[in-house]
Amino acid sequence: MTTETDQSSEEEALAERARARQALEPGERFPDLDLPDHTGRARVLSELSGGDPVVLVFSRGWWCPKEQTYLRRLVEVQSEFEVAYARIVVVSVDPSEVQSAFRAGLGARFTFLSDSERRWLPRLGLLEASDTEHHPYRPIAFTLYPDLTVHRRYAGDWYWGRATPEELRADMREITRNVRPDWEPE
Amino acid sequence: MSPAPFTWMWLADGRLSLEGRPGARRFGVDARCLDGVAVPDAYVHLCALEDPEARIPFDQPEVQQVRRDAYAWWIPLLGEDLICLSTLSLDAVHYGGAVTVARSPRRFRDDPFARLFPGRVLRSDLFCSVDPPPGPVLERYAGAPWPGGRFPAAAAPDA
Repeated sequence: MTTETDQSSEEEALAERARARQALEPGERFPDLDLPDHTGRARVLSELSGGDPVVLVFSRGWWCPKEQTYLRRLVEVQSEFEVAYARIVVVSVDPSEVQSAFRAGLGARFTFLSDSERRWLPRLGLLEASDTEHHPYRPIAFTLYPDLTVHRRYAGDWYWGRATPEELRADMREITRNVRPDWEPE
Repeated sequence: MSPAPFTWMWLADGRLSLEGRPGARRFGVDARCLDGVAVPDAYVHLCALEDPEARIPFDQPEVQQVRRDAYAWWIPLLGEDLICLSTLSLDAVHYGGAVTVARSPRRFRDDPFARLFPGRVLRSDLFCSVDPPPGPVLERYAGAPWPGGRFPAAAAPDA
């Protein structure tokens, strides 16, 4: 039996998911995720941005061969991000200690955020419903302005939908050119 | 430009101080490490020397690699022990050392910054807790110690 209260809270949840989905489109402000990082320390996305552009990658998890392959591609470009004042942040449902081991194995130096409690997963509406074993995130990536405004979204459910290093470079160039007034010094 | 994201510390007779005195060596340090509620009696791994000749250009590969190591494994190794860390700048060009501040000294023997200048353990009431940096490996402004500062806030252009 469904009570009025149940119906009301369900409607609120639906409305929140609709708002969250809208916030994931270009031009909208991405939610300021608060999650533990790969060391277990509490982090906030806006703080990780630190005023720089961000590539925010939602990843299924360490077990997925597509993720293992794709994250190695991100590792290939991390040196560029480190000298270009831009950030890479990966979110998955892996626990922090698993992310820490996976990150070390990849040779990654960027930050992983753990949503093992799946606090943000339903709010963002990014559940990969077909994986009933892990209940992970869909492989969706966003390029973000320093204020977390979405620049571009990449749906990577099919591997070829993922952002290539060249596309990430192009996005970072576009964002940086837009936010740095001294892009071309007088 | 934002205000200079660093402040000065002085080293003399094996002690760090916020007040300069004749003969003490002056270092720039990430201002956030000193701008807040200090953690009492913290352990400081000071990898710097009082010798004024002990300096390396920031852009040398060994300085860059130590910062990559900090992201890759030094910060994760310290975990919750970490209070803050900062390189110590001498001027617009030169690295003079680093401080890693922690709640325990148990990991200090692994400090990658000790590859550049040897480390020693001090106790201090000066440093406060700062979230570990997620990047970059470079200074943002000439002479500003890593990882301090940020560029002026810039919003996305209107769609």
